[in-house]
Amino acid sequence: MFRLLEESGFEEVRSAVVTNFRFRKSSTQHAAEAYGVKAVMMTAMKPASA
Amino acid sequence: MTNAAELQASLEAQLKGEIMRMYQEVGDHPDREFHFYHGREAAEMFGYPQEWLDRAPSGAVASFAGVGNPLERGNLRSGETVLDLGSGAGLDAIIASRQVGPTGKVIGIDMNPAMCLKAKANADAGGTAMECREGRMEQIPLPDASVDVIISNGVINLSFHKRRVVQEMFRVLKPGGRMSITDIVSAKQLSQSIVNDPKLWAS
Repeated sequence: MFRLLEESGFEEVRSAVVTNFRFRKSSTQHAAEAYGVKAVMMTAMKPASA
Repeated sequence: MTNAAELQASLEAQLKGEIMRMYQEVGDHPDREFHFYHGREAAEMFGYPQEWLDRAPSGAVASFAGVGNPLERGNLRSGETVLDLGSGAGLDAIIASRQVGPTGKVIGIDMNPAMCLKAKANADAGGTAMECREGRMEQIPLPDASVDVIISNGVINLSFHKRRVVQEMFRVLKPGGRMSITDIVSAKQLSQSIVNDPKLWAS
């Protein structure tokens, strides 16, 4: 997503992990961790000149 | 259509149906347990201030199914036009509506018309104004350069066409406009068996 945002012309792309995110079901959470699945917050801006 | 294209189209149709069913269930039966956290419990987990939740209609809070708090860094200002991509039962849109005030405007987009009706009913119950349009995030039903801020919560990961979604977001934002989203990402390539299972996409 980060790369997609930059490639699409967005500027000031920032991301941070949503540290409190987790799945309720432990089996889903374990599978998610195995694949590096996490929730992130992303912010970006469309250039004023675009 | 080639076999691969037919398979992709079939999978997308299944996925859309499963996602609509899942989130409709959260909207209609928030008392049920899902394998993701939802409702007030989830919103509090993601740091939504108590004041926001106390002021929001109970139906919107109970059916909240986000993965974070995109409003935390949205810095919404009075008079701004906000697009909530995948607005669901409307909690984020309703909070945004309070933040932009009567001179601002909040437009929700959801592919499920029933969720749009629910979001609108929740907004009305809370005395806030929001518009909700049925539509797909890959083809946002808004003109070019028409919104100041895009928020979205746990929705873009559900699209097979994320590049198209991001291009659409860029198109509808005004120059200098900004986006603040929370979503699910994966550090590793998911196995084909996961990618091909609509139930897992909707989880």
